[in-house]
Amino acid sequence: MLTIDDIHVAVNGKEIIKGLTLAIRPGETHAVMGPNGSGKSTLSYFLAGREGYELTAGRVLFRGEDVAGLSPDQRVARGMFLAMQYPVEIPGVATMTFLRTALNAQRRARGEKELDASSFLKLVRKHAAELNISDDMLKRPLNAGFSGGEKKRLEILQMTLFAPLFAVLDETDSGLDIDALKLVADGVNRMKSPERSLLVITHYQRLLSHIVPDHVHVLAGGRIVKSGGKELALELEARGYDHIIKAAA
Amino acid sequence: MGEFYSIAITNNFQQADTGTKMIHLGRNTRSRIIAKGISAGQSQSTYRGLVSVHPKADGARNFTQCDSLLVGKKCGAHTVPYIESRNPTARVEHEATTSRISDDQLFYCLARGIPAEEAVTLIVNGFCRDVLQQLPMEFAVEAQKLVGISLEGSVG
Repeated sequence: MLTIDDIHVAVNGKEIIKGLTLAIRPGETHAVMGPNGSGKSTLSYFLAGREGYELTAGRVLFRGEDVAGLSPDQRVARGMFLAMQYPVEIPGVATMTFLRTALNAQRRARGEKELDASSFLKLVRKHAAELNISDDMLKRPLNAGFSGGEKKRLEILQMTLFAPLFAVLDETDSGLDIDALKLVADGVNRMKSPERSLLVITHYQRLLSHIVPDHVHVLAGGRIVKSGGKELALELEARGYDHIIKAAA
Repeated sequence: MGEFYSIAITNNFQQADTGTKMIHLGRNTRSRIIAKGISAGQSQSTYRGLVSVHPKADGARNFTQCDSLLVGKKCGAHTVPYIESRNPTARVEHEATTSRISDDQLFYCLARGIPAEEAVTLIVNGFCRDVLQQLPMEFAVEAQKLVGISLEGSVG
């Protein structure tokens, strides 16, 4: 699905990711954990193709295709998705309008027919109900005045609507209370399938007891310093990043 | 009640100086001005508006809202309100804001599969919502398309 081959990524001329290698097969869920400043968010923005995140060495293949020359919207049309840590407000643009514009842009890019208003509405309502998102919330301007929990639920709603093959969840658990965490995790778990892979980026083990990963990687100083199964997350929680990073060095 | 709603878009090297005159002659007259200005490329857009309250216009009220949106880093927006009040009971309000389409907003749209030019149109239409929603449905749809056409070539 996704092959990250010894990448080095620089932001503003400063190297943040220093030789990261990771292979994700279809159906797998990987978790990347690491302390602040380890390069987690850089990795997620870089994979989404954000401007200013420059690849200085290595390469990334998505389903065999080198993504280097692809703009963010082209990556999305091919089935990549990033659920963001800080979803952005867009004043005056109704959430429903935004969702429809996005979905139809993706369909157009793939040469598929655009969805008409009524089938789109039906689709959104069905998935919105699963995430406890009201019609009222969908009428409000995108993310404007949304609570932390509402923003994250909306990210998962978009992931569900767009049905990507590969999704990165960047600290989706931050700012969520226990109930909202469960709601979001259930939404993510419904998305799991043998064709779909997930990369979950988080500080805490908490999220991973809901979204159980197949592999856990510890990111420190722009490199993966240790990989293991889901028990590695528990070990991190118990003993802290410092201990593991020192032991791995 | 006098109302004036406007959207002014400048692109490339255009310079625009637009606005309105609102003149209060009678007692308890009220007026509202909502002016939206969008500057893209290397253009400069100016709102220049006069609100005039004549001596007999007791209790006249005006509210003016003037919002500017910058697309890119080489454009500018200017607001020049003129207020002439010859009646001490008049209330004249002027609010002005200037904002820029942020990299974060643009990236968020891109990361949801919306190409850059379509994203700018979407954000600008959101910015103009207060004015566009005053139009009948058919005109609003046309106006939204016109916004898109006016901004062609403003990104990338």
